[in-house]
Amino acid sequence: MRVFLIGAGQVGSTILEALHSDHEITVLDTEMSRLQAVADRYDVTTHEGDGTSRRDLARAGVGSADLVLACTSRDEVNLVAGMFARREAPSATTVIRTSNVEYVELWRGGQLDVDFVVCSELETAHAISRIIGVPAARKTDVFADGQVQIVEFAVEEGASTEVTRLPLRDAKVPTDSKVAAIIGRSGTTLPGGDDVISPGDRIVVIGSPQAALEWSSLLAPNGGAVRDVVIFGAGRVGSQIVRVLLEQGIGLRMIEISREQARRAAEAFPKARVYRATGFEPDFLERERIGQAQAGIFAMRDDAKNQYGATLAKVHGIPFTIAIAHEAVSEAAFDQARIDVSVNPRRVTAEEIVRFALDPRTKQVAMLEGNRYEVLDVTTRDSSRYVGTAFRDMPVHGALIGAIVRNGAAVFPHGDDVLQVGDRVIVFTEAANVPWVVEAL
Amino acid sequence: MLEALPRAHRIGPRRRLAVDVPATVNLVGALAKYLGLVFLFPTLVAVWYGESVWPFLAAGAITSGVGLAVERSTAGAGRRVGVREGFLAVSVAWLAAAAFVSLPYLFEGGDQLGHPIDAYFEAMSGVTTTGATVVTSYDDLPRSLDLWRAFTQWIGGMGVIVLAIAVLPRLRVGGRQMLESELPGPELAQLSDRIRHTARRLGIVYVALTAIEALALAALGWLGADAHMSTFEAVSHAFTTMPTGGFSTRAGSMSAFSDAAQWIVLVFMLLAGANFALMYRGFVRRRPRSFLRDEEFRLYVALALVASVALTAQVWGHGVAHGGDAVRAGAFQAVSILTTTGYASANFALWPTLLLLSLFALMFVGASAGSTGGSIKVARHLLTGKVLRRELDQTVSPEVVMPIRFNGAPVDERTLRAIVAFILLYVGAWVLGTGVIAIDSAITGAGLGTLDAIGAAASALGNIGPAFGSVGPMGSYAGLGDVSKLTLIGLMWAGRLEIIPVVVLLTRHYWRL
Repeated sequence: MRVFLIGAGQVGSTILEALHSDHEITVLDTEMSRLQAVADRYDVTTHEGDGTSRRDLARAGVGSADLVLACTSRDEVNLVAGMFARREAPSATTVIRTSNVEYVELWRGGQLDVDFVVCSELETAHAISRIIGVPAARKTDVFADGQVQIVEFAVEEGASTEVTRLPLRDAKVPTDSKVAAIIGRSGTTLPGGDDVISPGDRIVVIGSPQAALEWSSLLAPNGGAVRDVVIFGAGRVGSQIVRVLLEQGIGLRMIEISREQARRAAEAFPKARVYRATGFEPDFLERERIGQAQAGIFAMRDDAKNQYGATLAKVHGIPFTIAIAHEAVSEAAFDQARIDVSVNPRRVTAEEIVRFALDPRTKQVAMLEGNRYEVLDVTTRDSSRYVGTAFRDMPVHGALIGAIVRNGAAVFPHGDDVLQVGDRVIVFTEAANVPWVVEAL
Repeated sequence: MLEALPRAHRIGPRRRLAVDVPATVNLVGALAKYLGLVFLFPTLVAVWYGESVWPFLAAGAITSGVGLAVERSTAGAGRRVGVREGFLAVSVAWLAAAAFVSLPYLFEGGDQLGHPIDAYFEAMSGVTTTGATVVTSYDDLPRSLDLWRAFTQWIGGMGVIVLAIAVLPRLRVGGRQMLESELPGPELAQLSDRIRHTARRLGIVYVALTAIEALALAALGWLGADAHMSTFEAVSHAFTTMPTGGFSTRAGSMSAFSDAAQWIVLVFMLLAGANFALMYRGFVRRRPRSFLRDEEFRLYVALALVASVALTAQVWGHGVAHGGDAVRAGAFQAVSILTTTGYASANFALWPTLLLLSLFALMFVGASAGSTGGSIKVARHLLTGKVLRRELDQTVSPEVVMPIRFNGAPVDERTLRAIVAFILLYVGAWVLGTGVIAIDSAITGAGLGTLDAIGAAASALGNIGPAFGSVGPMGSYAGLGDVSKLTLIGLMWAGRLEIIPVVVLLTRHYWRL
């Protein structure tokens, strides 16, 4: 596939790293030095030019691209480049990066003429919500704007007997969810009605966010809901995290030093408790019992402050810390400082953009268990073999339809539902079956 | 060496006055010009009943004539009434309106209303929709004059709605700016445009509700369900319910009428105490959910219920009335005082002290902020409560940032300060008024005891009307000394304008730069 990449900064080079070996890539950037750096490392064509100049885009050959990725650090440049690329290469898929959620909303409303908009703040927030949104989860991934979750749980000794220690067909599985795999001592199975979930196993569940939370409380009854998370920093990243976490019903406290930003956050999020403080004074941390929080998220603009804040929070007793690493080098430093998770917004954004470089129809969206299993996001064609077939009549061939996305809304299919043309189907399958599943749908 | 500056560069002459007084007077003159037309209605009534028409014709001619003359004499190019002039304009407008309205009382009031102070008291009580009266013998009044009393309240009520929703928010009086966005309309419009805009929209609600109430009450009379409720009485009481006025054509107020009439009036008192902009959205725009979503309306209804239940329990418990009568007496008095209407279905001046204390407390609650009611008003209590709660919260955690919300939208800190300032001024004005009345009563020997003075001041300031003792709902303010009457006139006036415009006029920097 011919990929046209605008912007060779941090996001751009992360994308190159992932795509350079399988695709033919052209890079456009205004800075010769950055182009030189990527040309030295990867086998790519580089052009010096301005993404907002239609002439530069045409000269660099955007017209012959199959996929255009606009990922400079400036929203306006990406928007304009996306628009021009659409004119120059009408059949190419265009993906633009933005740091403003408003553009994502515009795009969803059909007001931006590009195929996909990827927002760093939103992706960062989703990444963090995947980590703490479902307490007992070991791994999660979200699809269809978070409407569908795939979650891997560890089954603990105290897990509810409503779902464990009995055949699955008798288990009270939360509605809108399916058990996609049971990973036991003897290996991984795509479960049928006779299989049993036992403590010590790990299971993969596909379902709605609500169902994921129900699973969480069934499997780890002592974990309970996430009631108290403290977020340091109420800037763009922090506010976006708060928005996403509040939607999941997580109780939040925010700490922000700037009077203006604290006020704005308090006005925007009536459910969150906002403090105007640095978050570093022992007096304050002690008095407000910050140490009793279940998790701390450090979303300040300065990596050094995030690291110090996270360490201090650990000292005060917060058991789980997540810090935003704006610079790639900070990730290693955070690791050394024993911060539990570091999230780099640029990397998260790049990873999301890379997804679009793969076959846009079939998206390999997640890999589990060392590549043995894959989760596919397939859009059905009118030639699909199973269109018009009720789910109960479909064969079981080591693949499981976890959810379908119809007209933008997630549906968790039951036996009587029928597959329709244009449905996005989220399938959990063995890697070996991927070609067969894709072909069948 | 001194250098001669060119003439154009010299500084201008000193202009000391900060307020455009002629423009303000001009506006008030224009209002008076139209107020003259209002006198046509009682003229027609006088013709109908075969009573003397000249007091109304003369008063109307004087009002319009003076208004026209004032307007002409102050006309000038480039004058505009801005926010600064607004304070003076509303203050003068109500004083002037009361003066013009008092003319028929002067001409034809006889012993009861003929004295200038009495006439002005009755007129101010009318245009501020208070309902305090100096009339002692209702049967001696001509019917046209009786209806004129009611009509002054109705006209005053229209003015109050405009004042509450278009003018005071613009003047940022007492935290009124929280209601600034109540009605969709041109934000940067001149004061006079806003007045016209609001009057046109909310006038529909006001007129329609008055008409419905008049019909409902008159129907009782027509159907023979209430022997005392003539069409005249029905119209008179509809005229004084919707503005939360409370003038009655009977010495016994609503107790002269049937239970059914009292229940009807109770419902309309409740409506009159609701925010008119909200009723416009709910009834005219047909969005009934607006009522449920409005925080102030919910609290207002809850307060009305709680007050009704509490009073009913006390009325019943003290053996004043029993069963259904107790419920009616409790609810009617509670709603009447809460909405600052001031009708009575029982002579509560004779009730036990504990009941009087409950009524007295209700005098400081008031109705909704966009209504014709007076007093402190529910929205201010609501926001003050939220401010206090935040204060307590911040005592423990000083770093907490907690915006106060009203109907979901954050309220800015200046508005909250203005509300607290308003309440302080309100209480201050009440204490001051009480003091003057109590001292005057003690000196003249004719009038009120100290406790009654406390009630009378609260009642006048809250634009309620009746108080306790000799100035109770079946009594009259006629026996008070002139100083007390003038004080009450001042309290009614200040209370209606929400005090701050009046107090602003007393500050040096309002007048001078």
